Amino acid sequence: MKVSSITAPSNLNLEKRKGSAFLTAVKKYKLLYLMILPGLVYFIMFKYLPMGGLVIAFQNYQPFLGITGSEWVGFKHFIRLFTEPTFMMLLRNTLILFALNIVIFFPLPIIVALMLNELKNRHLKNWIQTIVYIPHFMSWVIIVSITYVFLTVDGGVINELIASMGFKKISFLTSPEWLRTIYIGQIIWKELGWSTIIYLAAITVVDPQLYEAAEMDGAARLRKTWHVTLPAIRPVIITLLILKIGSTLDLGFEHMYLLLNSLNREVAEIFDTYIYTAGLKNGQLSFSTTVGLFKGVVGLILVMASNKLAKKMGEDGVY
Amino acid sequence: MKKRWVSMLACVTVLSTLLSACGGDKEAEKNAAVADENTPLEITWLNILHTASPPTDTIKKLLEEYTNTKLTFNWVPDASKEERITTALASGELADIVTLTMMTNSSVRSSLKSGLFWDVGPYLDDYDNLAKIAPEVRAAASIEGVLYGVPFQKNLARSGLIMRKDWLDKLGLPVPTTLDEVYEVARAFTEDDPDGNGVDDTTGFGDRNDLRYSSFKTLSSYFGTPNGWKVDESGKFTPEFDTQEYMDTLNYSKKLYENGYLAQDFAVTAKTDQQQQFAQGKTGIYTGMVDISSLRTLAQDLQEGLELVPINKISNGDGEYHIWSEGSGVGGLMAFPKSEVKTEAELKRLLQFVNDLIDEEAFMLMTGGIEGTHYEYDENGAYKVLNTELWQADVQPFSSSRPSEISYTLKDANPEKQLANELIRENDQYAVFDPTVPLDSATNNEQGTELAKIITDATFKYIMGQATEADFKKAVQTWKDSGGTKITEEYEAAYKLTQK
Repeated sequence: MKVSSITAPSNLNLEKRKGSAFLTAVKKYKLLYLMILPGLVYFIMFKYLPMGGLVIAFQNYQPFLGITGSEWVGFKHFIRLFTEPTFMMLLRNTLILFALNIVIFFPLPIIVALMLNELKNRHLKNWIQTIVYIPHFMSWVIIVSITYVFLTVDGGVINELIASMGFKKISFLTSPEWLRTIYIGQIIWKELGWSTIIYLAAITVVDPQLYEAAEMDGAARLRKTWHVTLPAIRPVIITLLILKIGSTLDLGFEHMYLLLNSLNREVAEIFDTYIYTAGLKNGQLSFSTTVGLFKGVVGLILVMASNKLAKKMGEDGVY
Repeated sequence: MKKRWVSMLACVTVLSTLLSACGGDKEAEKNAAVADENTPLEITWLNILHTASPPTDTIKKLLEEYTNTKLTFNWVPDASKEERITTALASGELADIVTLTMMTNSSVRSSLKSGLFWDVGPYLDDYDNLAKIAPEVRAAASIEGVLYGVPFQKNLARSGLIMRKDWLDKLGLPVPTTLDEVYEVARAFTEDDPDGNGVDDTTGFGDRNDLRYSSFKTLSSYFGTPNGWKVDESGKFTPEFDTQEYMDTLNYSKKLYENGYLAQDFAVTAKTDQQQQFAQGKTGIYTGMVDISSLRTLAQDLQEGLELVPINKISNGDGEYHIWSEGSGVGGLMAFPKSEVKTEAELKRLLQFVNDLIDEEAFMLMTGGIEGTHYEYDENGAYKVLNTELWQADVQPFSSSRPSEISYTLKDANPEKQLANELIRENDQYAVFDPTVPLDSATNNEQGTELAKIITDATFKYIMGQATEADFKKAVQTWKDSGGTKITEEYEAAYKLTQK
């Protein structure tokens, strides 16, 4: 829960420097260091101090007794988490949905951005951009409700259409095999347009001379896209990919919680929904903190690993 | 008010050391108010809201006048009560009175047991209305013999079916009395075009994503399934889903579903959608007799000639009737947290307040509102709401906050509603109790809600043909292995103690 923000970079390698050198630097750039202060205080107050609450993962936390009064139980909750049959289910579902996110959703905005970039009619381009942004501003509740109205067997538009064509109705909402399709479909519908923004911005700063040079060499449109545009936005792509990996296990609690039901639980229950039901609804605060802590640690490890990998491959990475 | 201002100013000017003293003053003030019976007592009440919006102040003012209090409600919408109440318990941000309705919720139970609330058991007999709370109700509302709040008194069993009488008449079917006949009605409502529009657009049973308050649990008690747990003479506990009757209900529902007599997407349908489907004439059978007037209101202007019939007595063929009881007539507790209610004197005045709410005058304010404005009695002495919209805005939210719904009976001018009320009272005779209501199991408190998911999921899957009987049995075994057996043993042990 709280630890999801653990990956927020507070890029301060202050301790690494030699003490005296550090002090002279502080004296020299007083004002600059003063400017860091509010940010530093913010992170300590709202990001690091609350992490102290993580100790309840090792307790049988009772709110009325407080952290000091609650009984210490060591790794009991961790043992329960890793031995419960639900753990494998949660891990599998989370990883599969994450993979779908990376493999299917991640490249789409890049492709759309490249396509939009090729549009020469400015008005048409702006118009299309605006249209594809709009779904981003709808809440998941609305999107899931719309999906329900369309897909329900009891009079849903899509199913009526299927029935009128003489096929058997499909129970989209209650079949585990449709869940992932619906999930990724909704994400594409909602976020595709919005995610193109950053790539479009990156494309606009590509040096026009590069295109001219490529043209001189006889490159056609596709060639230019492949050899000029794409390499130019590669750092952006890598950065976004690393950030995305950092939030591996954050698949959108609200979205999944709304989709979840008794029939698709085996593929739809993920760490986020589990933390919510176990912790907030059933009041097992310690146990759900354990789950959240695990989630956060996995995210941290992944982002560090992918960053390292990116640097090995000669990219900048995120830090 | 002015006095307060001055004391506040004093507080601000003199710093930290004196701050605590000011807090003490306030406490002393409060105690003085408690001791003096004539000054209105300020009460905050964390209460559950069952309607879309909180009530207007009209009734609140009259209640304050009647009980000599100043009320501040903190409404929690019913749909989010699990999150809100558990968070409130966890953070200790409570009120003088806290309405707790989810008595099986693990965090509610653990906070009750941890002594966060006053034990009101010893005080009840000092108040005329509270003294009338039956010993069985007190027992059912207690945890390990301690009563952590005033129980909301409800009818023992409220469930039953509502059917479209006009459809039954049109198809020449009698009001069903057995499960086979109910099945036949569901079939006819689906296949025989009960609305006569020549289009195959109706389904017999409407249902929703809830096994307890929707059809399944009610049907299961018609089959004779125990309510929650079965106890035999030797004190052995068997969970309801491990019985033949539960299996029979599963097969019955599965058959309804397979043939299309049960709404096909019920597992993802919300209550409001289920009611809409009924009001729009898409379904003809609804579970839950208390909703009869709201269904009629919803169907206004949509269904011409709509007639409804509430049904409570359905047997599985042997002529015996059973209906499951929700919490043995206890709708939850009005609990008084020690963090807010510091002294016994304060508790006593709060109990007096709850006691006063059960008086007929307060009861009528919370049920019907103001006579002549919200309701009237017709020439037969039957109760009739004059302006439904006004009643919904002013009164309805209070009706579920009544400490007792059973102390007075009103004759309803709407014959359908009156019949439903009578049937609910008749249900008392057939009510099947859950033996674990007064018992406590540590494992159930901790893991029960999650373990229950295993069974709920398997039940849905079985009905919808996505699981076989073997799969279901496997789920029951998983339940047992993951903690169910432990729960059973703990209940057996707790039961043994009560039998001594």
